[in-house]
Amino acid sequence: MAHADEAAIFNKDEAKVNWHDKALWFVRNKRDNAAHTVKGWEELRNLASGIKANVMSNLDNYLIQFEENAQKNGVTMHWAANAEEHNQIVHAILLKHKVEKVVKSKSMLTEECHLNPYLEAHGIEVVDTDLGERIVQFAQEPPSHIVLPAIHKTKEEVDTLFQKHLGTKPSNGDPQYLTNEARKHLRDKFLKADAAITGVNFAIAETGGVVVCTNEGNADMGTHLANVHIACMGMEKIIPQEKHLGVFLRLLARSATGQPITTYSSHFNKPAPGTEMHIVIVDNGRTEQLSRDDFRASLHCIRCGACMNTCPIYRRSGGHSYNATIPGPIGSILSPGMDLKKHSSLPFASTLCGSCSDVCPVKINIHEQLYKWRQIITKEVPQPVVKKSVLKMAGSVLSSPKLYGIAGKSARFMLKYAPRFIVYSKLNAWGKARELPEVKNGNFDEWYKKRQKNEQ
Amino acid sequence: MSSRASILKAVKTNKPALIPLPEINLGFFDEDIDLVETFIKNVQFVGGRAFVLQSVSDIDTQIKSLYPHAKQIISTATASQLGTVSISEATNPHILESIDLAIIHGALAVAENGAVWIAENDIVLRVLPFITNDLVLLVSKETIHLHLHSAYEAIAKRDRTFGVFLSGPSKTADIEQCLVIGAQGAVSLTVLIL
Ligand code: SF4
Repeated sequence: MAHADEAAIFNKDEAKVNWHDKALWFVRNKRDNAAHTVKGWEELRNLASGIKANVMSNLDNYLIQFEENAQKNGVTMHWAANAEEHNQIVHAILLKHKVEKVVKSKSMLTEECHLNPYLEAHGIEVVDTDLGERIVQFAQEPPSHIVLPAIHKTKEEVDTLFQKHLGTKPSNGDPQYLTNEARKHLRDKFLKADAAITGVNFAIAETGGVVVCTNEGNADMGTHLANVHIACMGMEKIIPQEKHLGVFLRLLARSATGQPITTYSSHFNKPAPGTEMHIVIVDNGRTEQLSRDDFRASLHCIRCGACMNTCPIYRRSGGHSYNATIPGPIGSILSPGMDLKKHSSLPFASTLCGSCSDVCPVKINIHEQLYKWRQIITKEVPQPVVKKSVLKMAGSVLSSPKLYGIAGKSARFMLKYAPRFIVYSKLNAWGKARELPEVKNGNFDEWYKKRQKNEQ
Repeated sequence: MSSRASILKAVKTNKPALIPLPEINLGFFDEDIDLVETFIKNVQFVGGRAFVLQSVSDIDTQIKSLYPHAKQIISTATASQLGTVSISEATNPHILESIDLAIIHGALAVAENGAVWIAENDIVLRVLPFITNDLVLLVSKETIHLHLHSAYEAIAKRDRTFGVFLSGPSKTADIEQCLVIGAQGAVSLTVLIL
């Protein structure tokens, strides 16, 4: 199903959509407040962007250096070309240790590889220990947001899920009570687990160490109680030196939730005495994305979620409408690289307003990449007629850099100059069921007048 | 070809020409602010509390008044004598489940984000600062750094095993964005500054 059709399903519950929209905008505001208090914020973003660009241009050497140093620290290294190999590697480690119960902290990579169903099919119990992830695991759904996995669930829905799976009392969705019950339930799981799986936020080539960030403390409760720690990372998580953490950790949580840093930023270098640590480096399409000049920078992403919180389409369509592991603006430029046909509607799930690029802590030109995917898709994938004509207009705007700069900041241009039947036609899902804001004469007219003068 | 070899080969072929690594110019981040005050403000912002104590002898009195009901206490900090449970590297970490309070020395702190750096040799068992119900960290005024860049410089020469920047108590907002303190880690954090 195309994104707009999936979004239509989410939009059936208007109250919920409104709440979702406002809640995420609130997080976006917290991000703004946090960013504004940091002296040199823009310099941090420039540095982060520059460091990541350097990483991509020297990735093979950094990976080798990282591996060497991690091995010196006593860590066992594994390489997986794709999701299947990743799952097999993890399973083999668990088999070797006769592991029956695994606790897992948040990792979008293991979502991408569908590790849980794979392990469950082999008789291993996998417990997601981030509260939001546990909620969606109970609901048998994927996360709908990379930082706030259960943002699409109301507290009443969580209440019902907990009654069913944890035997809690009806509480009308009391967050304090429900979180407490989850704490007790998860403590028990941590104490009984034989192995812990975590994601990786940053992998440092210079030291061979990895950093894992959480607010709940679930990654640490898991890893320090179990005898085996498996850290799974996409190959793009590499940073050159430990001092670069100073740049990325200053940006990550502020961009994600407006906190100055996550509660726990845990630095794993050597396994604790008597325990084992494994790192699995995964490609799964990343080397291919690396080859694409126009889309390479999508690999800079540090998974903060800011582009989702700010996106007017994401906020009103929900993460599940993207039908991809990573939803929202960044997902819409990553997913077509994995499967162009399946994800061909995603680059159109955008007003090209550019807000995503404005908030991105590593300065990925997300909205420009969305536009570039559109061009590729309209050439390669058959499109409905109306969408094509809308695109043509968008194309003429976007091919003029100046006009694009003005129109790009909002959907103003399309709203004002696209014929009403296109904006409000059935085929343009974003005009459906609501009057779009009236566009005041502003920059565009001024610019247009000036342009006419110049031409004379 | 092994996956390792094929991945590295593909990266080598697909990567762009070398882009230089930017230098971090700390001048951009310099600020003349009161480090202790900023640190305290940020600890409060992330859900913890922080106090300045006049002398080492005030530590135990202060902790006792803040946590009067704590019975199972582990102190790995030499400055506190309140410990009732002693541990060594050989202790099974699972038994720490019943610990009410841990008192730990923090090697340094960061004003900009209220974080305290906890090194492995200050906790004996890695799980301690996470599994304890409540957590007290002792930090010396002189070790409060302006920002993370400066903190990383200070820990650059350490023996790298495990370490954590810890900022505030464990928390979650996964149920309808309502902030709840006390998710899977410690439910409260007090930082005592000396
Ligand atoms: S693309 Fe940028 S804003 Fe979006 S999640 Fe990644 S780092 Fe954050």
